[in-house]
Amino acid sequence: MSRFLFVVPPLVGHVNPAVSVAAELTRCGHRAAWAGLPGFVGELAGPDAEVYPCDVPTLPERPAALRGAAALRFLWEEFLVPLAGAMAPGVRRAVEGFRPDVVVADQQTLAGALVAERLGVPYATASTTPAEFSDALDGMPKVAQWTAGLVAELRARLGDPGCTHDPRFSPDLVLSFTTPELAGPGPQLPQLRYVGPAFTRRPAADFPWEWLDEHRATVLVSLGTANTGLGARFLAECAAAARERGRRLQAVLADPGGVLDGESDADLLVLPRIPQLPLLRRASAMVSHAGQNTVAECLWHGVPLVVAPIRDDQPLIAGQVTGAGAGVRVRFGRADRRRIGAALDAVLDGPAYRAAARRVGDSFRAAGGAAAAAAYLEKFAAQKPREPQESRER
Amino acid sequence: MTSPATTGPAYAAVLAEVTDALHTVLDDLELDDTPITPDTRFVEDLDLESIDLVTLTAELGGRYGDRVDFPAWFASLELSDIIGLTVGQLVQYIAGCLR
Repeated sequence: MSRFLFVVPPLVGHVNPAVSVAAELTRCGHRAAWAGLPGFVGELAGPDAEVYPCDVPTLPERPAALRGAAALRFLWEEFLVPLAGAMAPGVRRAVEGFRPDVVVADQQTLAGALVAERLGVPYATASTTPAEFSDALDGMPKVAQWTAGLVAELRARLGDPGCTHDPRFSPDLVLSFTTPELAGPGPQLPQLRYVGPAFTRRPAADFPWEWLDEHRATVLVSLGTANTGLGARFLAECAAAARERGRRLQAVLADPGGVLDGESDADLLVLPRIPQLPLLRRASAMVSHAGQNTVAECLWHGVPLVVAPIRDDQPLIAGQVTGAGAGVRVRFGRADRRRIGAALDAVLDGPAYRAAARRVGDSFRAAGGAAAAAAYLEKFAAQKPREPQESRER
Repeated sequence: MTSPATTGPAYAAVLAEVTDALHTVLDDLELDDTPITPDTRFVEDLDLESIDLVTLTAELGGRYGDRVDFPAWFASLELSDIIGLTVGQLVQYIAGCLR
């Protein structure tokens, strides 16, 4: 029996894969605990989860217009760096209280890796986004230097300044929740293991299944939950593009902000939330902001995408989708109904897109998901030398 | 934009070339109704991503050959330079290399 401490940020897309892995470890007889924002982690990990509370800074409202490098600077300066500092004392208490064999540190939650290295506990990196892998600003080395500088300052404060490796990549085990079939070849790191996406069961939203017409293709449109204020124009253009194609398709649009109120009819269904997983089983295409989770769910089901990335890791993920041949990119800020419609026609009519989506989906299943991640962690914990104190106890 | 470096005929020619390259490689931008000026910002005004900038400079590299070192220009950019990067900054760099 080994003990695993998961250090997670207050971000759903980062916690959900960890929840699946922790459940798998528990099923195999190990113990898992959490360091993070207590109510938030408890909600996702379940009422029985053992959560060591960490302070988390208030998330500053990010100006909607911030994109590209400006969004990157904001993410690091206003969120990731303060998050590491705020979480570190709680992570330390968690490590001292739970005494894990291995810390499983979210890649962007630097308190996990840095506290583990300071206390001499082995840690594995859990990477749920390509943001720290494929440099969003490739060919602009000064940007990577800037980020590395912030990480070095954090290490001096919270970690072991004697270490020289990048704490975002555990020297022992890096779990990446994707596959090279989607992400491309990636860095040559001997400790890197691709496990594919790890999905969690979540309650599906209600849906009027009788609305769907089996003689027409089903197209889903969602910009995720985090972009409510940004998407009004784009959603309206999607609705218009779908309506022009009412003879061949029906569109289901997720509209959490209520910007398309009253648009629903026999061709178009607008709902605040959609049951994405069950709908993907019968969908022919999806229009998405290229969030990691949505893209993984589409490709798992062999559904090709029209991707309209907004910011952060989304342009990278959109690039992976088009690179794999599983979708077409349109421009979130400029694409009109004509562009979106043409992209939709392309993925609906071009069998190569669906074939590519299926290829990636097959690679996901072969990678093993949460069970594979748990097996790697189990092996890592068994291999690591015991802490001196525990040796004395034996 | 009144400094001498931004008003000569060479500068105007480079601006025209960059504008043409933008139309060529980023035809899905629908630039027809968007005037390209030295003050046009790549990300904020044109909705370009960093990968588009790489594509754009690859196209320009084909046009200017060895006379302009685009990778060196990228490598020189600080994070704060990339935020709000304008067409004029790129044109100025190219014009400087051609002098």
